[in-house]
Amino acid sequence: MVGPGRAAKNQTMFIRPPPSQPKQAWLWLAPYFAIGVFALAMLVVTALLQWREQDTARSALEGDMHWAERTIENRLRAHQDFLAELGREQEFKQLTYESFQVKASRYVEENPEISAIIWVDTDGKVDWVAPNESNATFVGDQLTEMRLAALQEALRTRRPLFSVDYLNAKQQRSHDLILPVQRSSSDIGAFIALQSLETLLRTTLPTIFTARYSLSVVDARNREVYSNSSVKPTDRRISGSINLDLPNNPLGLNIIAYRGGGAWLPFLPAALIVILTLIASGTLVQLRRHAQGRAETEEKLRDAYAFRQAMAQSMVTGLRAIDLNGRITFVNAAFCRMTGFDENELVGIAPPYPYWPAEEFTKLQHNIDLALAGQAPASGFEMRIMRKSGERFDVRLYFSPLIDTHGQQIGWMASMNDITEPKRIRVELERAHERFVTVIDGLDTAVHVAAVDSGEILFANRAFQNIFGFDTVGRDSALVTAACRPAPELLSAQPGDLSADDLPCEIFDGEIQHALSGHWYHLHERAIRWVDGRTVRVQIAADITDKKRIDEVNLQQQKRLEQTSRLITMGEMASSLAHELNQPLSAIANYCAGCIKRMQAGNYRFEDLLAAMQKASDQAERAGKIIRRMRDMVKKSDPNRQPIALEEIVDEARAFADIEAQRTGTQISVELPENLPRIVVDRIMIEQVLLNLVKNAIESMSDVPFERRRLFIRARLADERMLEVAVSDQGHGLAEEDIEKIFAPFYTTKAEGMGIGLAICRSIIEFHQGRLWVEPQREGGTVFRFTVPIEEEHE
Amino acid sequence: MSEQTPTIYLVDDDEAMRDSMTWLLEGEGYRVACFSSGESFLHARRDDMRGCLVLDVRMPEMSGLELHEKLDALGSQLPIIFVTGHGDVPMAVGALQRGACDFIEKPFHNEDLLSRIHRALELDSELASRRQRDGAISHRLEQLTQRESEVMQLVVAGKLNKQIADTLNISMKTVEAHRARVMEKMGVRTLAELVKAVMTVK
Repeated sequence: MVGPGRAAKNQTMFIRPPPSQPKQAWLWLAPYFAIGVFALAMLVVTALLQWREQDTARSALEGDMHWAERTIENRLRAHQDFLAELGREQEFKQLTYESFQVKASRYVEENPEISAIIWVDTDGKVDWVAPNESNATFVGDQLTEMRLAALQEALRTRRPLFSVDYLNAKQQRSHDLILPVQRSSSDIGAFIALQSLETLLRTTLPTIFTARYSLSVVDARNREVYSNSSVKPTDRRISGSINLDLPNNPLGLNIIAYRGGGAWLPFLPAALIVILTLIASGTLVQLRRHAQGRAETEEKLRDAYAFRQAMAQSMVTGLRAIDLNGRITFVNAAFCRMTGFDENELVGIAPPYPYWPAEEFTKLQHNIDLALAGQAPASGFEMRIMRKSGERFDVRLYFSPLIDTHGQQIGWMASMNDITEPKRIRVELERAHERFVTVIDGLDTAVHVAAVDSGEILFANRAFQNIFGFDTVGRDSALVTAACRPAPELLSAQPGDLSADDLPCEIFDGEIQHALSGHWYHLHERAIRWVDGRTVRVQIAADITDKKRIDEVNLQQQKRLEQTSRLITMGEMASSLAHELNQPLSAIANYCAGCIKRMQAGNYRFEDLLAAMQKASDQAERAGKIIRRMRDMVKKSDPNRQPIALEEIVDEARAFADIEAQRTGTQISVELPENLPRIVVDRIMIEQVLLNLVKNAIESMSDVPFERRRLFIRARLADERMLEVAVSDQGHGLAEEDIEKIFAPFYTTKAEGMGIGLAICRSIIEFHQGRLWVEPQREGGTVFRFTVPIEEEHE
Repeated sequence: MSEQTPTIYLVDDDEAMRDSMTWLLEGEGYRVACFSSGESFLHARRDDMRGCLVLDVRMPEMSGLELHEKLDALGSQLPIIFVTGHGDVPMAVGALQRGACDFIEKPFHNEDLLSRIHRALELDSELASRRQRDGAISHRLEQLTQRESEVMQLVVAGKLNKQIADTLNISMKTVEAHRARVMEKMGVRTLAELVKAVMTVK
């Protein structure tokens, strides 16, 4: 029993994913907050430590400073004492030059800061200099300026004092310690120790001190007179100052502690904390981004999953997944719908499946075995299965391997289509096609379809094959139909040039003779879009050989009829003319009789007679004209086509028609455009046609109100070869059935007509390569139109 | 006035025909009036017109026959001579059957026309005098009272006075009085004269 475990495992593919977690933004803020607090605390601790360290340093500095002050003061006091001792000896004349030299030299040697000890007189002139070898000053030198001033000040106050600083010969800052000496209250001079400040500080203060502190000496005006270091510490927080209270020259000593390890050192921990905080925050941000990305991906995955699920469920194709043993692991909604079973009735079932009809068991078992063996045909299985209700239906099942994410096959996916309807449609289509083919083949009109580009015959019906052979489909139409094909220049459009928008398009409609069989065909050719989108020529050829023969016979007959008609028309014309002649003849007779009567009675006026005779003569002329017209009409002539202006023909026909028109009160309006080209016709024939049409028109209006009896003769250029003449009346028009028959010989709508007029007219017009037709007018009445050829222009 | 002088009314659409006929007829001393169409004649027509109408059969708008029908409907008694062209004979015969006076076919001889016109004018004057006479009798008949008229009808029908009295439910004496007054008013002396006068009008 391996099945259920595997099935369960496989089913996990279709288990719904967990619902998405609600987003808790505040959770993300906590780490930031913790980092912030930690960083702040560290900074405070660091600052505290810093502050304590500084405090310690400051107390150390203060101790050192006091020590230095005392040391310096002691030293200076020692110098003062030494000078005072010398002074006392000098006062009491116990000091000789030699002893001075010995004592002072020894002292100078012991105290390197003193460069020399000199004895000056009250005027500032150097008398003694010890040690001898000193080059700070020489015997006989005169003290100058400030030193002299300081000396005089000392003499005046009689107290030891210090001179203002000056630069000694070695360019060192120096000052003089002046001790005035009196003898019996008169000034005799002064001992002066030339002391170098720098050396003083160096010798009094140990090296360790100068290394730890920056020393600078400032004078009373706060000018810096000496500094032990050219580097000025920037941080002056740990500093102090001592006042060396030298008489007459108070000096200040500023002490600033050097900061061990550089200025940035205190900031290092803070900086480190800040950097670490930033790194921690950055990492956190990255982490969050990563988490967000994950969440989005999960969301997308969920959507995609839902989409797929929806797709699988909404598909009309039934989907069924089975594992490698044939156990159903998944079915979609369409599958359930088709079979009528619920999902839980199908999932987990191994073959035979509940929707297998008993009678198909063997076949279906065979199919599923094939499918599981991976030998399902690519075209799928067509099979009959059963709904839950027991109803059978046809489906097509396609198998494809189901591969999991590791690329391992875990089963088979089958898609199932209900083909009951398509099968029915297919059968119907086949039947429809059969009917179509039967109809098309039943036609005795040859129909074929040829591709425009390749000329390949795509379709041909039986009639076509009867004419051109039974193996024509697929061959080149141009070759097959070469014997019966309109020349390309006769086509109204070149099919190759037609764009898709022009289709369908008439390209030929005419009669053509088969060169070999001699049969005549009415060829109707159109360019259309074929089922596959190609442009094709559809040609429909109807055999009109028999009709053609009949037409020819008819034509012969009509020629004979025409002769007859001419006579008949002349007979009618004669009657009409006779009536017309009566008018002038009666008038002449009346005039003459009137004259005769008057002359017989002898009661006349000459002018009256003359006027009457004149009128009689006019009437005779009128009669003559009528006779002349008749003679022209009767004059028999063979068809003789000559260029002639349409106006001439219209005028003459009108002259004849006017008789009838006047009698019936019909108004004839001729509206011919200017500059019509001449037409090439037999004038008598066309005149007869026109006259016939005009007479018909007049007759058609015999029972319409008087004001409606108007007849129009119009003309226009139909195309570059033909002129169209229209004769329109305002009669009652023609009945639909009459329009069709009106041109048939011996058909008439008139009581006493013979029914040959229009037939002959049509023959005459067709003899002239023209056309005669009739159309009803919108406003009532009928319009007959015919076309006649116009004169070709010769250069 | 026109009722005394007979006029030949000429209706023809052809101007030459009108003019030449006028020339011919005026030469014979007739009064001639010309109309170019049936309509214009109808416009001018009056009941007391005397003379005759010479009418062309073939005319546009209103043909001669149509005009004839219209005049008939109006009670005109003017004699009409139709002038027809070749082939219109059956048409003219139809018109004659409907009571037209005469017809003549073009081209005609002038004497032929003149004689027909003469005849037509005679007919017209006869008709006119008869109209006059009928007018007199009618006038007298109108003078009779209701009762007199009733008595007269019965008298003319050949009833005896006794029968008349019974029919009208009046006395014999009254009948005789009425009868005498009828004879007086009608200006006749004998019964035969009365019958003749009454018949003429009817």
